[in-house]
Amino acid sequence: MTVRTALSGPFPRSEALVAATRDLDRGRTTVEAVEALYTRTEREVLALEHRLGVDASTAGYLRWQDIYRPISESWSGFSVGPVTRMFETNTFFRQPILLGPPERVPGAIAAWIPLPLRMAEKSRAKIVLPGPYTLAQAVDNRSGDTTEGLIHRLGRLLGDELHELHGRGYSIFQFQEPSLVVDPPTGPRAEAVLAAYRAIEARSSGSTTIVWTYFGDAAPEHALLDRLPVSVIGVDLAETEYERLRPWTASKELGLGVIDPRTTLPEDPAEVAEIVDSLAARLQPPGLWLGPGGPLDLLPAEAAARKLQLLPRARRAIAARGGAR
Amino acid sequence: MTSRPLFPSQEIGSLMKPLWQLQGARGGPLDERARKEFQAWDERIHFTRGAEAIASALLSGSPGKVTPEQVRDLGALFGLRYFESAGLDRVYDAEARRIEMYEYPIRQMHGFQFFGHVRSFDNKYYLKAANTGEIRLERPYHTEEFEFVRAHARAEPKIPITGPYTLADWSFNEHFLARQKGWKGTASRRAAQHEFVVELARKAIRPTLVALIDSGCRVIQIDEPAAGTHPGEGDLVAEGFNAATEGLDAEFSMHICFSDYRNLFPALLEAKRCRQWAWEFANRDRDGRDGYEVLNVLREYGDTRDVGLGVLDVHRDEVETPEKVAKRIGRAAQILGDPKRIWVNPDCGLRTRSLDVAYAKLGAMHRGAELARAELSNPRT
Repeated sequence: MTVRTALSGPFPRSEALVAATRDLDRGRTTVEAVEALYTRTEREVLALEHRLGVDASTAGYLRWQDIYRPISESWSGFSVGPVTRMFETNTFFRQPILLGPPERVPGAIAAWIPLPLRMAEKSRAKIVLPGPYTLAQAVDNRSGDTTEGLIHRLGRLLGDELHELHGRGYSIFQFQEPSLVVDPPTGPRAEAVLAAYRAIEARSSGSTTIVWTYFGDAAPEHALLDRLPVSVIGVDLAETEYERLRPWTASKELGLGVIDPRTTLPEDPAEVAEIVDSLAARLQPPGLWLGPGGPLDLLPAEAAARKLQLLPRARRAIAARGGAR
Repeated sequence: MTSRPLFPSQEIGSLMKPLWQLQGARGGPLDERARKEFQAWDERIHFTRGAEAIASALLSGSPGKVTPEQVRDLGALFGLRYFESAGLDRVYDAEARRIEMYEYPIRQMHGFQFFGHVRSFDNKYYLKAANTGEIRLERPYHTEEFEFVRAHARAEPKIPITGPYTLADWSFNEHFLARQKGWKGTASRRAAQHEFVVELARKAIRPTLVALIDSGCRVIQIDEPAAGTHPGEGDLVAEGFNAATEGLDAEFSMHICFSDYRNLFPALLEAKRCRQWAWEFANRDRDGRDGYEVLNVLREYGDTRDVGLGVLDVHRDEVETPEKVAKRIGRAAQILGDPKRIWVNPDCGLRTRSLDVAYAKLGAMHRGAELARAELSNPRT
């Protein structure tokens, strides 16, 4: 069994970027200077990912103000709304407001991809986007469409987005879907989520598609997650009762969020290896992806970099146990 | 005991720092704008009385003669006179000496390390500490600040202090989590957070409260803005409050804002020494919504404590009319069934509004309470 590692969302901004972006807001520096620092820091994150030996790179998505912003600031129909709490955290996002039918703008999302990632080997780049359900749940929907209609429509648009990005050379796509486990859909809404992912599947031939859940327990949502037509389902091990996870019925890989971004306390590689090994033996997924359980930008940059050292160490510990590899 | 009118008013949090205080505390001379601001407010609220020498030195363009501490003293006097002249019955110094409500208390304690900034949203960040060892208070904080207020306040002082739940929630928990055996899943995290909150309450907040009470402090507001972050942790909020206040003789209130209060009940009822819930309501009382309907939760649980009623939306410049304030008070009295339980206050600190707007809002609050009193003594049929 292959064990892969990757980051699973935005990396925190460095202290230098914190200072620069604050200065920008206060008119003490220039856009050009901050842009140059963004690019330099993205290169540093990419270099960190290489040192960690990850199988897919992100370059940190440092410019993103929140996970919805690439869409709410670039697709038509959206505007950017009030500051809203991000799940049960002390961080916030600007609520996307949908004033009419959403439409994607070709090339717009590609422009949000960090420059160093665009310059790197694209087949190893991981493109992270909000999932259709979590995006629909976050939106202040004034479009006149139902929530179910919106979920399905967002799925079709995201499918078109993947198709475009695949044409540009990218082939690993991750959808952030905390709402699937925090506020699980049922009935017609669950069917709309399935329809959305079928629409994505129809346009993502040849790609690896990942649904990453976090902030909630994935085990009780097995039935829906199992039906999602994607390559990998990721679960947040800090929130999930992993003893209750069941095998996927289809050939789907398992993502394990082994790093908890809610605490600066480092995880123990041996303990992680033991849990991963036991899950691999019991669930027999065709492959494993290890990464942070939730957004790493809940941590300061220094602490995040320190905690990420777990990934190569856990991989070595798993290999030393002679288990999943 | 001073007799109070019906619907007494109180401050609830910080104000925007005046420009002259910021410039003066940095040691630089006041620019023209700051001087004008200083003089205009002195004409309105006479905050320099008794501190004429410092005021004169500050305005003289010889800032070297004034220490940053003297500037902050003057800032505290400004806050007191600002609230008093707006007609408030309970006042504080507008938190003139505090930069914010998290980092300052944490820096008074051992057992914490700052690793860097965490993003709040957009380009806004805050320093978030990790608890990495046993919590030990360097020394009780806020006491000197309170003693200055007590010496100068004409109205009754009420001190706000950040509560243990919020300090814990806004920190990383390493120390207590590391003591949990096995994988750090939800049960371990919950147990570790429980220990963290209670330890903060006992070892840091409680000694600070004791010192304040020993200094003559009678009215204390425990600020728990994080209380609504985790809907299932109302019991932890209450337990932290109880651990901090157990056996202490003072009038305690708990301030929570921008939360779904229903999620905290019935657990919050266990905060037995809390005599007043000071909550935000006005923010949600618009666009046809009844922002005060949530008060029904107290009626449903038979809770008869006082309510600090947020009647001013602190996120909007629009100044409420006295009639709107009176209507809000009337609505709350109708739900609670006892007008004597109601205090009026802004939803939260007015620090995001200009000093002019905040003052106009507080004036409207004062007049609105008068209107509500008149309405109650002479009800329309």
